[in-house]
Amino acid sequence: MKYLTDSSKIFTRFDINIEVARREARKISADELLQKVGDCVVEGDEEKIEDVLKEALKTKSPLEVTNEGLIAGMNEVSCLWDEGVYFLPQVILSSDVMITGIGLCEEKMGKSMEKKAKVVTHTAEGDIHDIGQVIVNALLNAGGFEVINLGADVPVDEVVDACKIHKPVMLTGTALMTTTMTAFPKIAAKLKQLNLNIPFVCGGGAVSEEYVTSFDLGIWGKEASQAAAMAEDAMNGAGWSEMRAKWNG
Amino acid sequence: MKLSSSMAYGSSKEMMFGFAKKPVETKDGLTIGGGYVIPEIVPHPRPGSEKTLKTLLREFERANYDAMERCVMVGHPLLVVENEHVFQMTNNPEWGREIAAQTARQLVEFKEKYGLIAAYRSTIADIRKPDMVNMRDSDPTAKVLESFNECAKTADIISIESMGGKEISDYAIIRNDITGLLFSQAVLGGRDMEWLWSQIVEIAKIHGCIAGGDTNCAQANTAMFMAGGFISKDIPHTLAALSRAISVSSTLVAYECGATGPGKDCAYENPIIKAITGVPISTEGKTSACAHPDLCGNVMAAVCDLWSNEAVEYHNMFGGSSAAVFTEMLGYDTAAMNSAITLGYQKEFQACLVNSDRYRGPHGFMLCPDNAWLIGKAVVDNNESLYARARAAANKCGELMLGDPLLRMTTFEKESLLSYMKDMEALPDKEEDFIDMCLNRYGKVKGFRPASYGL
Repeated sequence: MKYLTDSSKIFTRFDINIEVARREARKISADELLQKVGDCVVEGDEEKIEDVLKEALKTKSPLEVTNEGLIAGMNEVSCLWDEGVYFLPQVILSSDVMITGIGLCEEKMGKSMEKKAKVVTHTAEGDIHDIGQVIVNALLNAGGFEVINLGADVPVDEVVDACKIHKPVMLTGTALMTTTMTAFPKIAAKLKQLNLNIPFVCGGGAVSEEYVTSFDLGIWGKEASQAAAMAEDAMNGAGWSEMRAKWNG
Repeated sequence: MKLSSSMAYGSSKEMMFGFAKKPVETKDGLTIGGGYVIPEIVPHPRPGSEKTLKTLLREFERANYDAMERCVMVGHPLLVVENEHVFQMTNNPEWGREIAAQTARQLVEFKEKYGLIAAYRSTIADIRKPDMVNMRDSDPTAKVLESFNECAKTADIISIESMGGKEISDYAIIRNDITGLLFSQAVLGGRDMEWLWSQIVEIAKIHGCIAGGDTNCAQANTAMFMAGGFISKDIPHTLAALSRAISVSSTLVAYECGATGPGKDCAYENPIIKAITGVPISTEGKTSACAHPDLCGNVMAAVCDLWSNEAVEYHNMFGGSSAAVFTEMLGYDTAAMNSAITLGYQKEFQACLVNSDRYRGPHGFMLCPDNAWLIGKAVVDNNESLYARARAAANKCGELMLGDPLLRMTTFEKESLLSYMKDMEALPDKEEDFIDMCLNRYGKVKGFRPASYGL
């Protein structure tokens, strides 16, 4: 078979044209120990984090290590991702390290670290494709939110009950199939009946903006990467219609 | 089960769309892989139609009718209609049975009235979620097997998109973890396939139905979709390409258990499967843009026997319903391929399809017939275990990508690829050692049950 040696008239590799120059992570702290903690997060180094944290916790409070090491490191990871330097796996690995680190700090404190706010997440009833939800969970965790993870194939009433119990600032729903996303308006209607006007972010697979914005409470989540910023809005008091106006349309 | 040890084709030069070494014939005399390409239309029901059996029957009745009517309207002589079960159709096996029986009646009507030769593929939904149920012993498992039994009574072809190993592959994909992909796709997925497909093949025999084939959609397509196009920053395309190469190890198991093809449309690994087995395959490319984008829209037709659209939701368009419109498009694509065969221009036509996407991205590159054949050869030459052949396939795929300077990669993707190659080199050679290592490493992953895979 004859093969072309120049494909420039066939297609354009936009990914190579727009490739972002690699850059080193910015300095996280002037303190050497906190910098090491932050480095573990930025590099997603799960093997080192335990030793590095133990060393830092000898002279610093768990709160200081969390805020100025772990969370500061995660903030740098978010910047690197926003700038296109990092890909999703690097963010997930960093998030894993941060969660491990927070667990160790909590152990030292003897109590749980205060989280920003609660978010309930689920994958629709009848749908077992939950990788999108897994990513949302990781990114919300990384953003400092407490994630109430209901898992996949969750019945409508179970989602509503979880919202009654936890009173989250935001609810998320993931669906790959159009024939399972029909659970979303049912959940929204039941929440409305209970006067729980929780912003309900729905996304995944074939879930469209047109569909999600056809029912009250619904906000279309185009990308998993938007989840933490949306949760910030909800935590800061934005209602579902305000969030819809900002993120959709 | 004996793992494949030889190639069906002596070289990629022998591989051509429309021709399979082992063609398959349906009850109504439709030969697949017998010298021409056939459109395979996959309509998908609208949201809300899944509420009751009655509404779903009506939805499929309309969609399937529209597809067959359009064939007659524009003169497409042959058709395969595939209905992929939505959750409700497998969760209620009688629903799948009724829809299969209805479609079989529609096929007869069109044959009697117009002489249209068509076949029906019923694809059962794998409702076993690995982290929620024991894959071999649960209510969803029983329903999957019952659905096969019910649908095989009237369908021409039965298939599934099996889920084995997905609990680990989802974990591994988003962590850029090639070891996890080898374990989930080859070791776990392959074992699940062997357990499942030995039963599917028996069911098909009982009912005189064709045991089509499977796909690594749940894993390799997840990777491919996440790698996306040229904008996504989710996972490297090089990881998705290696995941595709690994998928051959498990998808092949269906045929080693006795499936005969046609392979499932969304198994992008099918060109490699065809090179090894000689079974007819269904593929999809540009015509599946209605379901998802990909970077191999034309090359996927290079060695296909059925040409599919993946899934199109039933809707009205200016030119008729989506089922009718996509049937027309698929049919014209196959008409062009069949014209090329008839004129003796098939090699030239195939070269155009291949060159369109060869260097568009890693997936298009590895699935060109020459590279697909070489990856297949690595699989059969390393058939000591499901793991060994998957590792060899991934290694070969990586070598091919690194060895062709015309395949351009971003810095991150190239660095990632080099890192996967290094990781794979350091892995144990023996499957039992690899499994021990992975049980230790992934034992903590939520919901992972080694017993689901006989481990």
